Parts: sequence; C-alpha cells; structure tokens
Amino acid sequence: MKHYNKLVRPYLIWSILIILVPIIMIVLYSVTTGGNALVNISFTLKNFTKIGEPIYLEVIKKSLILGLISVSICLVVGYILAYFITRFDDSVQDLLILLVTIPMWINTLLRTYAWISLLSDNGLINKFLSLFGLNAQTFMYTDFAVIIGLVSDILPFMVIPIHTSIRKIDPSLIEAAQDLGADKFHTFTKVTLKMSIPGVINGVMMTFLLSISTFVIPKLLGGGQYMLVGNLIENQFISVGNWNFGSALSIILTIIILIGLRLMKRFDKEEKEEAE
Amino acid sequence: MSAKEKRVKTRKNKNKSRVLYFVYIACCFVFFYLPIVVTMVFSFNSSKSLTNLTGFSLRWYERLINDGSIMKAVYVSLTIAIFATFISTVLGLITAIGLSKNRRVIKNVILNINNINIMSPDIVIAIGLMILFSSIMMPKGYLTMLLAHVAFCTPYVITGIYPKVRQLDPSIADAAMDLGATPFEALIKVIIPMLKDGIYAGILLAFTMSFDDFVISYFVTGNGVENISIVVYNMTKRTNPTINALSTIVILVIVILIVTSRLVPSLLKKHAKKIVAIGLAIVMGLAIFAGVRSGGKKVLRVYNAGEYIDPELLTEFETAYNCKVVYETFDSNESMYTKLKSGAQYDILIPSDYMIERLIKEELIQPVNWDNIPNAAGLNPDIMNLAYDPGNEFSVPYFWGSVGILYDTTVVDEKDLDAGWELLRNEKYAGNIYMYDSERDSFMVALKACGYSMNTDNTEEIDQAYDWLITQRNSMDVVYAGDDVIDNMISGNKALAVVYSGDGAYIMCENEDMDFIEPAQGTNIWCDGMVMTTDCKDETLAETFMNYMLDPEVASRNSVFVGYTSPVKAVAEELEETEFEGISAYTPGVASGKNEVFRYQETKIKQLFADLWTKVKAY
Amino acid sequence: MNDALIELKNLSKNFEDQQVLKGIDLTIHRNEFLTLLGPSGCGKTTTLRIIAGFEEPSGGEVLFDGIDISKVPSHKREVNTVFQKYALFPFLNVYDNVAFGLKIKKMDETVIDHKVKSMLELIGLPDFAKRDVTSLSGGQQQRVAIARALVNEPKVLLLDEPLGALDAKLRKDMQIELKKIQREVGITFIFVTHDQEEALSMSDTVVVMNEGIIQQVGTPEDIYNEPENRFVASFIGESNIIEAVMKRDLLVSFDGQDFECVDKGFKNNEDVEVVIRPEDIDIVKPENAKLTGTVKSIVFRGVHHEIVVETEFRDYLIHTTDYFEPGLSVGLTFGPDDIHVMYRMDWESESRGGAGR
Repeated sequence: MKHYNKLVRPYLIWSILIILVPIIMIVLYSVTTGGNALVNISFTLKNFTKIGEPIYLEVIKKSLILGLISVSICLVVGYILAYFITRFDDSVQDLLILLVTIPMWINTLLRTYAWISLLSDNGLINKFLSLFGLNAQTFMYTDFAVIIGLVSDILPFMVIPIHTSIRKIDPSLIEAAQDLGADKFHTFTKVTLKMSIPGVINGVMMTFLLSISTFVIPKLLGGGQYMLVGNLIENQFISVGNWNFGSALSIILTIIILIGLRLMKRFDKEEKEEAE
Repeated sequence: MSAKEKRVKTRKNKNKSRVLYFVYIACCFVFFYLPIVVTMVFSFNSSKSLTNLTGFSLRWYERLINDGSIMKAVYVSLTIAIFATFISTVLGLITAIGLSKNRRVIKNVILNINNINIMSPDIVIAIGLMILFSSIMMPKGYLTMLLAHVAFCTPYVITGIYPKVRQLDPSIADAAMDLGATPFEALIKVIIPMLKDGIYAGILLAFTMSFDDFVISYFVTGNGVENISIVVYNMTKRTNPTINALSTIVILVIVILIVTSRLVPSLLKKHAKKIVAIGLAIVMGLAIFAGVRSGGKKVLRVYNAGEYIDPELLTEFETAYNCKVVYETFDSNESMYTKLKSGAQYDILIPSDYMIERLIKEELIQPVNWDNIPNAAGLNPDIMNLAYDPGNEFSVPYFWGSVGILYDTTVVDEKDLDAGWELLRNEKYAGNIYMYDSERDSFMVALKACGYSMNTDNTEEIDQAYDWLITQRNSMDVVYAGDDVIDNMISGNKALAVVYSGDGAYIMCENEDMDFIEPAQGTNIWCDGMVMTTDCKDETLAETFMNYMLDPEVASRNSVFVGYTSPVKAVAEELEETEFEGISAYTPGVASGKNEVFRYQETKIKQLFADLWTKVKAY
Repeated sequence: MNDALIELKNLSKNFEDQQVLKGIDLTIHRNEFLTLLGPSGCGKTTTLRIIAGFEEPSGGEVLFDGIDISKVPSHKREVNTVFQKYALFPFLNVYDNVAFGLKIKKMDETVIDHKVKSMLELIGLPDFAKRDVTSLSGGQQQRVAIARALVNEPKVLLLDEPLGALDAKLRKDMQIELKKIQREVGITFIFVTHDQEEALSMSDTVVVMNEGIIQQVGTPEDIYNEPENRFVASFIGESNIIEAVMKRDLLVSFDGQDFECVDKGFKNNEDVEVVIRPEDIDIVKPENAKLTGTVKSIVFRGVHHEIVVETEFRDYLIHTTDYFEPGLSVGLTFGPDDIHVMYRMDWESESRGGAGR
C-alpha cells in the first residue's frame, strides 16, 4: 500500500525549487526597491501604490473588459459549436473534435501572423470585400483584430470541455425529460444546459486565464497602443527594466486571476447545491 | 396528424437542423482554418508579399533548408519538446502514483503547488523562472529552457494522470505484489499499463505545450538557443514566407502523425515501445552529435538584432576562420540588456549608441584594440568619435542612419512636407499614420518638434513633448507599430510613418511610391556598433569578426541585404550610385546642426519617459 | 500443536490514531479452512492484509512455520490472495492473468503453459484462455482470480470477501466450489466474510471478531450452539438474548422464574446472559408452560414461520413449522439444554446491545 509514497519526493523537491521559489522571488521583488540585482534592497509598498495610478488601473480595466468580451464570445460560439457537434454520430464527433484540436498544435505566433495578412488594410479580407465593390475597412490595430486573434486562439479551449460534458450526458436523461412532457427547448435548458455546466466552467476558466494574460496577440494585432496587463509586465521586464514594478504587476495579475477562478468555482458550487 | 405524417415531419425537421448544424460548424472551421490555409498558400508564393499572390514557387522551402538559424530552431524545438515530454511524463507519472498513497497534507501541498502553476499566467511563470535562473547564476540556454519546459508541462501531466490513478482499484498493485512482483515490477507491469490512456493524453499535452511555447522560452533562453517561436517572433521585422514554409511542413507532419495514429492504432500499440526507444535513441544521438560538432573549435557568441545580418556572411566567416559562430537575435536594445543582465553570456553585442553608453557606464563591455581592426581605416569619419563613445574606445560602427518620415508620394502633398515633424499632426492625414512604438523615438520626434534637445532632462520640456504626443494621439488616431511597420508600409497600408532610414531604404526598394525626409527641426542620428563584452572568451576572434564585417566586400553585401547604411564610407558611396540609386533614405543627412545622438539616460529620467509613454499609448 | 502454520501473537494495528486491532492471538493450522467473521470495521480484513504482507503490524508477531515474517514484503511470502473485487489485470487476457505470477518468477514457458492450463481445467474454464477478462461474468472472473492465486502453489490462500459481488444463487454454487477446491489442493484457506451463513457452511474453524478483538474461535457448531457472549450470539443467527442471574450451578433465573440448565462454573448469583435460539422454543398450550404470552405477528419464511410472542417481560422470537393465529394466547417451553448461559459483557451490552441480526 505505502510502497509508492516515496515516489512523490523528487517532484516535491522539484516543485519547491522551480515553482515555489520563483514565486517567492517575484513577491520579494514586488515589495522591494533597489534594482534588479537584489544586492541592497529596501522594503517598500511603492510598487503596489503605483498600480493605483489611474493609468495603470485603466490598463487593468481594459484587460478585464477585453478578457470578458473574448470569453463571452467564446462561450456563445463555442457552446453552440460543441452542442452541434454532439448531434452527430460518435465517429463523426471524434473527427470534428480532432479538427477543433489541430489548430492548437500550430504555433500561436504563426497563426497570428496569418491574421495580420488577412486583416491588414491591403489584406486578403479587404481584397475579398473589394471584389464586391465594398470599401476597404480598417481591421488592424483595432479591438476587433485583437478579439478575432484572441478568440481564434482560445476557442478550442472552450469547445473541448463543453463538448466532453455534453457528450457525457446520459441520453436516457433527455428521453426522461421528453417523456415527462418537456418540449425541445425545455429539455435543452433544464437538462442539457444544466448538465453541461461543469464543462462550461472549465472552459470559461481556461479561456479567461489565457485571455487576461496574453501579450503577444495584442502586441501584434493591436499595435503599440494596445496596452494590456501582459504587455505592461513584459514592458517592465524587457524594455523599462523595472523588475520591481513588473513583479508587483505580475502579482496583481495573478490575484485577479485567482479571484476570477474563485468566483467561477463558487458559481459551480452553488449550481451543484441547487441541483441537489 | 397521423403517426406516419408526424414521423415524416420530424425527419424533415431533423434534416433541416442537420443543415443548420453543418453550416454553423463549417463557419467555425473556416474561422479556425482560414489563417492556417493562408499560411500554407503563401508559403508557395513566388514573391515576398504575404498579401499578394504572385505565382507558385518553392523558393521559400529552399531558403528554409538553407537557413541555418531556422533549422537549428527546429532542432531545438523538437528535441526540447521530446526531452521535456519524456521527463515530465515520467516525473508526472510517478508523482501521480505516489500522490494517492500519501498523507493528505503532502497531497494537498503538491496539488496546490500544481494548481498555482497551472493558474499562473505564462508570463508570470516565465518571469519567475528567469529571476530564478539569473539569481543562481545558471547560464541561460538549452538546459534552462529544458528545465522550464519540464516545469510547466509536469503539472498538466499530473492533473491528467492523477484522476486515473484514483480510479484504480487499490488492490491491483497488491495483487501484483501478492503474486510475487516486487513493488517496482508491479509499477512497470501492472500500474503503468493500467494508466496507459492517461499517460498518452499526458504525452500529447506536454508535447504540444512544449513545442508551441513562446513566452516562457523567450524569457529563459540564451546563448544562441532559440526555438521556432522565438525565431518567428524576432523575424517580425522582415516577415517572409520562409516561416510559412516551415509552418506548412509542421502542419503536414502533425496531420500525418494524427492520421496514421488513428488509422493504425494497433500497429502503434504493438510497437510502441520500439518506436519510443528508437525515437529517443535518434534524438539522443542527434543531441550528442550536435554537442560534439561544436566541440573543439573556437566559438564566438554574437548577439544582434533580428534580421540585421546576411546569414551567409556568418557561414563564410566560420569557414574562413575555422570557428563556430553562436548567433542569437534580440528584438530591442532593452531586451538585449535584460538578457545580458539576467546572466546570458556573449562575446559580441551589436546594440545602439545610447545602449553602448549605458554598457560602458555599467562596465559590461571592454575597450577594443583598434590595431587588430585594420579595415577601420575605411570608416566614415562623420560617425566616429560621437558623444556616446568618445574616441570609439569601445565600439566599432556596424550600421548607422537617421530617423525620418516615410511618406506615400501618391497621398501626401509635397507642400505639407515643409512642416517637418508637424506633418505628423496634420489632420489631413488623420488615421493614416504610424508612429514607431518606442518611447525614445517618439519623444525624440516630439521634443524636436517643440524645438528642444532630445537628450533633455528638463521636466517642463518633457511635459510639453508629452502634450504634443497626447494631442497627436487624440487628433490623429495614431497607430503605434513596432517593426511590423515595414511590412505595412511596403503594402502601402498608410501614408505616413516614422521609420529608421535603413528601414526606409528597404521599404523604398520594395514600394516605389514611398519617399523619405529628415525634418529640418533635426533628428536622431544613430549608430549601431559592435562591442565586446567583459566576459568575452576570445578577444582576438571577436576583433577578427569586427574587422571582417568592415571588409569592403562583406560590408557591401551586408548593406545590400539589410538595407541599412554602411559605416564604410567607400561602400556607402558606391551603393548610393548602384544598388540604392534614388533611394534617399540610404543617405542619412549628417549636416544639420540640429541632429543629435542619443545619450545615456539617468534611471529616473528613463523611468519618467517609460511611464509617460505608457500613458500616451494606453489613454 | 505441530501442524500450526501461522501464529498471530498479540497482533495490533493502528491507523493514524485509530486502533483497529487490539491484540489478536490466533493459531491457524495446515489444511484448515478458517473464516474470519465479523461486521465491517471489526479488523478481519486488516488481519488478512497483515498475513498477506500488505500492512505491517503496529505490534506483535506473525509467525509462519515458526518464523516471524511481519517484516517480509508481500512478494516474498508463500501466501496468495483472492481480492474482494478480484483485482484482475484488465489489460491481460485470462491466460496471462493466471500466468502472471509464474512469469514474474521467470519460470520456463512450457512449465508455465502446463500449469496454467491445468489450473484453468481445475476451475472449469479450460476454453477461456484467450478471453478478455473484462468480458467474463462475475463468477468467471472469480474463478480466474482463484486460479491466478493458486497457480503459484501457495501454502495459504487468502480470500477477502470474494463472494460479496456475486448474486445469491452463484454465491451458493461458489461456496461449494471453493470447499471442493480447498479439498483438492489441500492447503490452508483463510476466508474473510461478514456473512455468517457463508462462514458456518464452509469453515473448519470460525473466528468471530468485533472491534479489533477476537470474540470466539471454534467450529461452526460451537459458535452457533455455544456462543461465548452476547455479540457472538446475536451476530451468528437469530436468537433471544435475555439478561439473567445464575442462582447456582445448573439453575438460572430470568423473567421472574427459575429454569434448570446445563451450565455451571459461574459464581452464585452472578449476572449473566442467556441465549435461546428461536428454533429451540416450542409453542404449547398456555396451561402447559412456564411462560405465557400472545402471538404478536407471524411471517412465513419458507421452511418455517417466524413468530413473535409478546410476554410480560419481553418479546420472544420463535421459529416453528406450525401456524398460530395472531392474538392467540400461547405458552412457551424449552428444555434445560436449550438454554445457553454466557458471561455478561458490560461494554458490549451497552454500546452494541442491538447489533447483530
């Protein structure tokens, strides 16, 4: 029984060294000043109070809004897609889900570049539009471009958990609901939707996590003025070289994510309690 | 309605909804696959354009195979992914098995640490690891990248396998041991086969994540080790279809792998062990081979901006001087500085003037022995002995130029050009303008427009410049673009852009409608120079390299390839007449007394500019 | 006794802060079919797992052929186990499951083949060698699990509630089958169950356990007819358990009357308990009996009727083949040898008064 309990030791040590220690160091950076070398440090909360400045709050707000919009789009588009996929036979479903996963295998940067050539002012979409005599639209460096790029990147993370949870629903439950007189719409809302909540929660958590911390997609599709928390952090570490402030921002970002996930979990719990 | 009619009707409805499903799913897949198809189609384009199909060719595939840095990145991505997958699967597997047999406290500790890792944004993990590796003075490179990949893959493997372990009948292991198997035999012969599905899923996930990772690799690598994502990211400056060719191959390989693994699962199952063993053997062989190959020879580690050299010159240098060049690229001076400070080691850096001054001040680079650089005689005196490095004690010019406005002659009115930098606030061109996404260059424009020195530390002047930028932003609907401005201007997406003269020259070569001016209010004259780090391993070789780059023939080829102005006077003058004839941007003006060179900034001023710039962009 | 195979000496086991075995002393003989019987949580499975080597005892000794094996890992012990849910390896077929232990021992292929085939013969599944174990029925899986254990020729076979997952009919068949197999292979079987009927019908020796303590060891007949305490009496079969006072040897008093009995050796006027099995009570006319009451309920149970008779002091449970109308006044009689006197267990009667069946 106990033979394998020692097997966790390598990972325990490993995870402390390579997961916990870095986090502690980020925390240390965030509450000190004294440059990046950590030689003569002094403790301060200045890095956190700086985040309170309206400009940074604005950046955080923008990140949150963009995250919420992308997650909502993913939820609506992804749920319908996942639901429709479950309407097919098993083998077709497998194929369709495989097709959803393949893009995840292809480098995000490459796909984002492809969106640039699609969306740019003289890009393929505008060329396509001009075939119908429509005026060229500006897509690049707008919210639209960033959201399109982001959604195409994270949508599979929404579709797959939802699909799994809908597929798991016992068909006899749906038959039971119909047997008890529920019409199609009610069967869907009362049974399918309810039962797929865990998948939805998983999907929302995953996409929220990915969208709130992204920095490459807004940088490439939104241009320099598209400043999200991720970009701000990258800037602090790479261009500005203020690791202390960057660390403080990272911690705030992590806290935002943890709060978001906690809210989702609570929602999940309430849902379950209600079901009971 | 009879039962039969009803049935017919439902069937009809069913067919109708089927059509709806199909249409919707098809639309979603168009959305998913459009970028991928575009990538693939343009890999066969005969020209460089990523928006204009000009014809079919395989030249980008040819170039891909010949491009050493991409092939090396493929090798790095692949081997790192395989090793990281292997290590994290084994580590995750034994941990998941061990977890179920542990006390709740330890279980919770591990699962919580795992969750922290999964819930943390990539960028935070990346930064944590970067800080960790620098503070323990671990040289950045293959090993740090591998460790980082194992670090972020393993938690996913554990969360994938652990539920399967919990579903196991606990007496299964007992049964094996009861039948005489040692605990180890029970693990290998019973527990692992029973977790097969979870393990496959873990392998797949770890491999995908490792192979695709950009953010974490970007922060933790160094010493010339780059994976595909990093190379792609640093290629933004001059995107070209080589990378499309690469992704087409990657896509095909993945599709073939998936299809074969679906079609012949039995085959895979039967020979899984053999396949894994052979695969690992090949990879290890390659790794050792790669290690051996570089062993013995002298090594020169060069750190340069992306797409800032003709790669053939590096190969030729290697053969000529029987050495190995470890070549790595950065996307900005600042990221180069961060890398350097976080422990990456190089022999030669090629940063810009103000960064050179900073490196001198922080004693990160050492003086050059000019005796070893006879080709220096040909250098243009105009760009020697500038304020950032008086007497060129530390730096050997590499390329130089100015900053100016690139404009579309078909859109911009000749008369408006007289306004100089104020052209950028001419509302006629609102929404038709790119600013360069760099606080230095944008504040330079604003300060010059206001008539101040760009090296000012007077906060009032800086505030005025800030206001200039804010009004410009508000009235002009500006896009702050990075190096993607080059592709955008080649495609003629907008009428005005602030660009470096070298990029201007490159764009003008590709798009005849473009022209370049240096405003009369004065501009930035910049100079990128080759410098030797203080921990340079082989000064003689480094100086040989510097001398080589100044050789007239080499300098000429390099200048033609990159489009920037050569510091070798004779070469620049010759190219003005030949290759770059009529390209005004190739000849930066040095005459204007108002032109300046960027100087080192105090941390406080730098921070002020950074904060103001964030405000300009984010508001 | 020289045919002792396994001796447990003062065996104890703690899980975290809970003591599940509180000093077990037990001798198990060669060729014995021994059953550990008790309610769940009584420590019977833990005892079995200690013998198998899956758990280490917290205290005490496990002697195997006179040698302490409590530190020997399970894979080095000459015992094999049949698990509750069989624990067959789902990724191996029937043949490979049975051959597992032999392959681990790196036996010659032809020897393995021979042994596995004869073992499949023994359990009556000779044609199932290539079958997937997951495709077998519960009873077939059960047999494979037994074959997998026996093929290693252990000195002891441990069976951990192996019949629990089977339906009633199959269970009966397997009981007979198991007994048959035990006779054929001629080794010690240690069988764990909570089903008293199973225990009584198969075992040579029954060990009744409760709360980490052995309550009684004996043949099925001993256990049934002469339970040592209220727990054993109530756990094994149905019974009327009555608080009584032992007036003197051969005379016990309860329900306000004195009864002759066959028990002696108690102190005079000691508080005791008396057990009378329901089938030992006869229903007679009220005037012919010491105890009288009215029939409260009657339920037909197939072979017999189960009758509850309400008397002045308590309800009596009686099994009889006759039928009595509820409400009828009846008398109850039983002979001196139908009364079994036991020591009274204070902790038992308080905490577990109603336990058992």
